[in-house]
Amino acid sequence: MFFMNRVVAFAAVLTLAATVAHSQDRSATTANPPGADPVIGEQLFASTCGFCHQDGGRVAGRGPKLAGTDQSDTYLLNRIRTGKEGAMPAYGRAFSEGQLRSLVAYIRSLKDEGR
Amino acid sequence: MMTLRKRVYVAVLAVVAMGAGACSMPASTTDMTKTSAPMADASANDWTTYHGTYESWHYSPLTQINTDNVKRLRVAWVHHPGKSTRGLQSMPLVSNGVLYYTGSYSRVWALEAATGKPLWSFFPKLNDDLVAAQTHSPYTRGIAIGHGKVFVGTVDGRLIAIDQKTGQSVWDTKLINSEKLTVGFTGAPLLVKDKVIIGSQGGEWPGRGPIFGVDATSGKKLWEFLTVAGTEDSKKTWGNDSWRTGGGGGWMAGGYDAETNTVWWGTGNPAPLYDWAGFEWKTSGPRPGDNLFTTSVIALNPDTGALKFYHQELPHDAWDFDSAVGEFVMINRDGKKLVVHPNKGGHVFVYDRKDASIVNVWQLVQNINFVKGIDPKTGALIGRRDLPLGKHTNLCPAIAGGMSWNSGAYSPKTGLYYKIGQEWCMDLEVIKTTPILEPQAQLDIGANFTLRNPEGGKAHGHLSGRDPVTGQKKWEVRFTEPPLASLLATGGNLVFVPDARGFLRAYNAETGQELWSHNNGIGHNGGIISYSANGKQYIAVATGWGSLVGDEFGGLFGEPFKSMAKDAGSIVVFTLE
Repeated sequence: MFFMNRVVAFAAVLTLAATVAHSQDRSATTANPPGADPVIGEQLFASTCGFCHQDGGRVAGRGPKLAGTDQSDTYLLNRIRTGKEGAMPAYGRAFSEGQLRSLVAYIRSLKDEGR
Repeated sequence: MMTLRKRVYVAVLAVVAMGAGACSMPASTTDMTKTSAPMADASANDWTTYHGTYESWHYSPLTQINTDNVKRLRVAWVHHPGKSTRGLQSMPLVSNGVLYYTGSYSRVWALEAATGKPLWSFFPKLNDDLVAAQTHSPYTRGIAIGHGKVFVGTVDGRLIAIDQKTGQSVWDTKLINSEKLTVGFTGAPLLVKDKVIIGSQGGEWPGRGPIFGVDATSGKKLWEFLTVAGTEDSKKTWGNDSWRTGGGGGWMAGGYDAETNTVWWGTGNPAPLYDWAGFEWKTSGPRPGDNLFTTSVIALNPDTGALKFYHQELPHDAWDFDSAVGEFVMINRDGKKLVVHPNKGGHVFVYDRKDASIVNVWQLVQNINFVKGIDPKTGALIGRRDLPLGKHTNLCPAIAGGMSWNSGAYSPKTGLYYKIGQEWCMDLEVIKTTPILEPQAQLDIGANFTLRNPEGGKAHGHLSGRDPVTGQKKWEVRFTEPPLASLLATGGNLVFVPDARGFLRAYNAETGQELWSHNNGIGHNGGIISYSANGKQYIAVATGWGSLVGDEFGGLFGEPFKSMAKDAGSIVVFTLE
């Protein structure tokens, strides 16, 4: 049941993505792997990740700055899946693989403004 | 020997009998303190419930340690529980010469109060995968004791009773489907007569924030009050069935008015935390309407869980300035029985205890612009600053609040209420996120934000001593960073402040003059109490750093917070040399 809810929710994300992308004037890049959409990633980030990674991951806050990170995609995916005890929750059972990759795509889309 | 229940009743009756005098005549001190002590004689040496007593004074009437001799305060003993992830955040309790406390992962210890000698420990087996998936984890803010048991909640949704003498589990009741909701219990339970009352985590989590009443003897769940749409009428304050995912967890222990048999409890904010509907919040957005009973104080019958009355401090809270702060400071003045409750947004609400009608609202912090004001006669918000989709600058206070969840203190000797205020602001961008229509596993925030200094100044904190009803300030001490721990007032005319940098400081309760300090070597974000064992008075403080508010300090204030350990913490106990 819970899995189904997540599937429904993810489907809703996909449905809404184009509209929101337009309203927010944020365009997806074409260089991302299949299923990875930085616009979806941005929405997920604002729901769950922005609580700790300030200004959408552009500056350090509770969590580290993510813009311009030199960590690999594999590292980022694993960190989001498994978290870090006492510092970051494990999202492996909360997000689908597509959502995880969208989050990484969003992080990659951030410009490092040196803040 | 008196039971806890009897002792608390005696204490409550003593306070009720003396309360009016204590408030209206703060100058007549010593004798009044002896008789109006929040803990009756049988328990004056102890600290038997989270807020010290049901009246939430965080006050010990003990006078052995006082303004004249506090300079001779030295460490008596220390206890290291190990694995103090996010620091110790709990309030120790003391009963009959034994100190009980809980650390991270709901691990409970019983120690000889005079020496720190371990008597027993209890380490519950938790769902490790669930703990790893939680944001507000793995800390535990406190316990309750009585009926020969120690009661502790767990982050995987259980309430456990432990035999007070042996440390063995007596019962273990699953109350929340934490595997689905990813929330459990972090706050302390409150024991009222034969009921253990505990509230779920979860403001910005898409659940319905239940508060539970559990039989202390059997562990059987007796009632459950849903802080989100807990009544049919309140369901109408959530448009589009948004009550299904409303948040609102009442995670901190509240207070109890024995005279009217009323439990006072504060509730969390609604989810999603920020609402892209902005000014149109009454009719559109993810949660149209007032969103009862989030960001409210509610009065419950402890026997049935039935709602008696309530006041919503911030209708349709759009800022995460919740009412979950657990202290309900009960005092009497001019024939009225009052309760004083701080709201995270920086205002202090004063209510009539008979029906939660507003007596006054006053402002504790300076940097507030989420509203222009709050009507002190009605509690109505004046000039609210709703936050439509897009970028906003200089919202004050910041999401960390004008006040945090740890408690202030009230002294019947001085008649003053001591409380920490937090001065900081933030910039944010509200983002239209995917509507969440069913309970899910993680946060529902709806914005990105960055903490910042207030315009024209630096972020900081302050301790002030004030009239609890009018807010009139008698003295104030400024801190370069807001202290995040609870405060303690004592009959020795002292106020103790465990600060963020690691110093425990003692102030003259009348004047605010600093009299003593000791460096515990790490910040504080937990409790502090005083008690007596074998004829000696002790001060016990929880140390350790790493709360979610404290996590902001590295980015905002730099060192020593950038490098401060977040996996350490201990109980440090002081007495006179």
